[in-house]
Amino acid sequence: MTSLRTEGLTKAFGGVLAVDGATVEIRDGGINGLIGPNGSGKTTFFNLITGMIRPDSGRVSYRGRDITRHSPHRVAQAGIGRTFQLCRIFPRLSVLENMLVAVRRTRLRELLAGLHDRGEVERARHWLRRMGIDHLERAEARDLSYGQQKLLELAAVLMAEPELVLLDEPAGGVNPALIDRLVTLVRDLNAEGHTFLVVEHNMDMVMGMCDHVIVFDRGAPIAEGPPSIVRSDPRVLEAYLGV
Amino acid sequence: MSLLLQGLALGVLTGGLYALLASGLSLYFGVMRVVMVAHPAFLFLAAYLAYTMHTAFAADPFLTLPVTVPVFFALGVAVQRLLLARLAPDNLAMMSVLLTFGIALTIEGLLGTVYTGSYKSISMDYATRSLTVGGVHLPYDKIIAFLVAAITLAALFAVLIRSRFGQALRATIQHREAARLVGIHTERVAGYGFGVGLATAAVGGTVLALITPFLPASHWAWIGKLMAIIVVGGLGSVAGAALAAVVLGVVEGLVLVTIDATWATMMFYVFLFLTLLVRPQGFFGGRLAHRF
Amino acid sequence: MRIASRGLLVLAAVLAAGYPWMVPNYYLVYAGALTVMYAAMATSWNILGGFTGYVSIGHSAFFGLGAYGTGLMVTRWDLPWTAALPASALLVTAFAVLVGIAAVRVRGASFVIVSIALVSMTNLVVQGWRSLTGGSTGLQVPSPFPGLHRGQGHIVFFYLFLALLALALLSWWFIGRSRFGAGLRAIREDEDKAESLGVPTAALKVAAFALSALFVALAGGLYALWFGSLDPIFVFSILTSSYMVLMSLLGGVRHLFGPLLGALIIAPAGEYFLIALGETQIHLTATGVLLVLVVLFMPEGIIARLAGRRAGAPSIPEESAGQRLQGVAR
Repeated sequence: MTSLRTEGLTKAFGGVLAVDGATVEIRDGGINGLIGPNGSGKTTFFNLITGMIRPDSGRVSYRGRDITRHSPHRVAQAGIGRTFQLCRIFPRLSVLENMLVAVRRTRLRELLAGLHDRGEVERARHWLRRMGIDHLERAEARDLSYGQQKLLELAAVLMAEPELVLLDEPAGGVNPALIDRLVTLVRDLNAEGHTFLVVEHNMDMVMGMCDHVIVFDRGAPIAEGPPSIVRSDPRVLEAYLGV
Repeated sequence: MSLLLQGLALGVLTGGLYALLASGLSLYFGVMRVVMVAHPAFLFLAAYLAYTMHTAFAADPFLTLPVTVPVFFALGVAVQRLLLARLAPDNLAMMSVLLTFGIALTIEGLLGTVYTGSYKSISMDYATRSLTVGGVHLPYDKIIAFLVAAITLAALFAVLIRSRFGQALRATIQHREAARLVGIHTERVAGYGFGVGLATAAVGGTVLALITPFLPASHWAWIGKLMAIIVVGGLGSVAGAALAAVVLGVVEGLVLVTIDATWATMMFYVFLFLTLLVRPQGFFGGRLAHRF
Repeated sequence: MRIASRGLLVLAAVLAAGYPWMVPNYYLVYAGALTVMYAAMATSWNILGGFTGYVSIGHSAFFGLGAYGTGLMVTRWDLPWTAALPASALLVTAFAVLVGIAAVRVRGASFVIVSIALVSMTNLVVQGWRSLTGGSTGLQVPSPFPGLHRGQGHIVFFYLFLALLALALLSWWFIGRSRFGAGLRAIREDEDKAESLGVPTAALKVAAFALSALFVALAGGLYALWFGSLDPIFVFSILTSSYMVLMSLLGGVRHLFGPLLGALIIAPAGEYFLIALGETQIHLTATGVLLVLVVLFMPEGIIARLAGRRAGAPSIPEESAGQRLQGVAR
């Protein structure tokens, strides 16, 4: 089943086409990599999908439902979670509160319910435990190390129960041990039913972890397929090396 | 028709003055992303100093400028270096507004204590007559205000564009980090930027004293007006603010002669809200207002 | 600990309730009522300011509208004050929703500008609309308790404001422990991030803005009934908002009792200045200097200062985290 689908997605900043008619289809259940040279429009593409910026033209649909131009919180509520390139957490909330913010609240009754609902707290602790940061639940998030903050960010995203998770450079600024841990974690989560779309510059990570890779150049996909095939695609080499 | 012409002419003249009054605000925002709420209070501080000059020594209020301009420049540098630079960067926008708000209250209280809360005005004999061109009456005081504003703004632009300091200042406005990387002392430049901004308040306040009666609380009315101008012009853009000032001055003048004073003033807020709703980055260049 | 703090709370409530009977004269009752009014308004301001970090210097617009709304309904429509007060407060809240929809689209400094403009605009309208409001000559509101003499009136309004304060404190407390409050705090920390986690930030901001306007409007309405004479210059004074901001900041915007503490310091100090120095403008300077000092040296407020600085940054070495990671790796 199709998870995410974009058709002719286009966005220009000033005169520069950051994303230029990108048509992409992500199937349910995979770990998809999104690679491409710097400035090829990967992060803009993320922002367009998640509603952080509005496309000039084109459509985004998720599980058959049109989500073009939906505000970010509606996209999130539809089941798409994301992390940010420079990890973003709520610095002056405790680790546990960082998690509980992500609890879904749409009805008035849910809004007025107490934050520290026992079931939700247990769920939050479960995710923190899986990330290995449950011992920090009372600490203010800004006191965590960068790696721990990245784990917290991912944990909070998962707390919102997304089916599709977009990761923007998960390995950026992270030590090798943690990268290995992240790869394992993503694989496990994928096995549990989460679909991933990962923007990453670390080729070893992408090629080792993903089962499907999409290559962006100048704002649109130029190649896609399994890592082994994409790796040897001449168009990809050209885009990266400019030969 | 002549009524409209009258409104238009007056609007252009006052718009020129508004451009001068708002230019300082744009500078502050440019160099430090700070909304300087105390700017109008400083305007009226200058107005009162000119008033003292006039009543105590029977001198032309413009003669205070050689004193007030350097003093205000120093004050501006002091405000930036001693107060604003100490604020934590993570919540600078809000805290700087509150800080300068406190400064405005301080100045208003001092002015009220020294000069009492009643209206003061300066009337020079050259300011009471008016020039008539084709059925349109242009009061000399407004013309003088416009000319002084034009000269000051021209000098300001010359400094910004031609001088080394101006280049450093513009570099700092455009990209602080990059400016620092090429060896500009951005902290010092920001301080001087504030000094220049406040120096324009010395000139603007003196002119203001000539054309309108004032009391210590007068600055509140100007905060909204001047903020509207810099938002419509595009926060941080000195030229944008000048253009917006003239446009809003004309709109105000036209509404003043056709409807009434309340609606004329209301126009500023209408334009402010419309700008924020429709085009938060301002109409004449500048930055994304809602980011700051 | 819990029992001790609860006991302290009860004691404070008893002291507050007994205050009018403990002071020697009606002036002190009046000063007390004024202080409680400011405490209620500052606490209400803090529903927006404290949770979301949006600093509004425009709340005196809601105070003024609440006052004029109540005054006009009582004088022009002959409504009983018990109906006029909530009706006008609800109208102001509806107005705040409309303003909020436009105002909370902008952040940071632009929001402050908008809030200042709001006061100027409402002031302008009320002064300009002479036929309805009496313009700058003001509006006289008949006393709701004609049988009471002035001093007894102060006592009644002391309790009315006290009830309002209790309501505002309860609301803040309730929001603070709800998911609504967690959403608002997330907005303060990182608005875009909150959106991406599914928090409907715009709606939450508007709700907080309107709720915080509601209690301020109620305070304004009570003020109109209490003083009986409204002057647009005073009622729409930006000074009223600056007191709300100053009190909240001084006490501590992140704490339930922060604004109340700030009000207990600032409002009596203001009254003292008025007596000691007479009707001069120097109290403005005092307020201004205090605001500058608070912003520079104590932006987190007294309570945060008393609670001690964060016990250093609790050091969490990267290694230990890494080791833990290995430990939990399945």
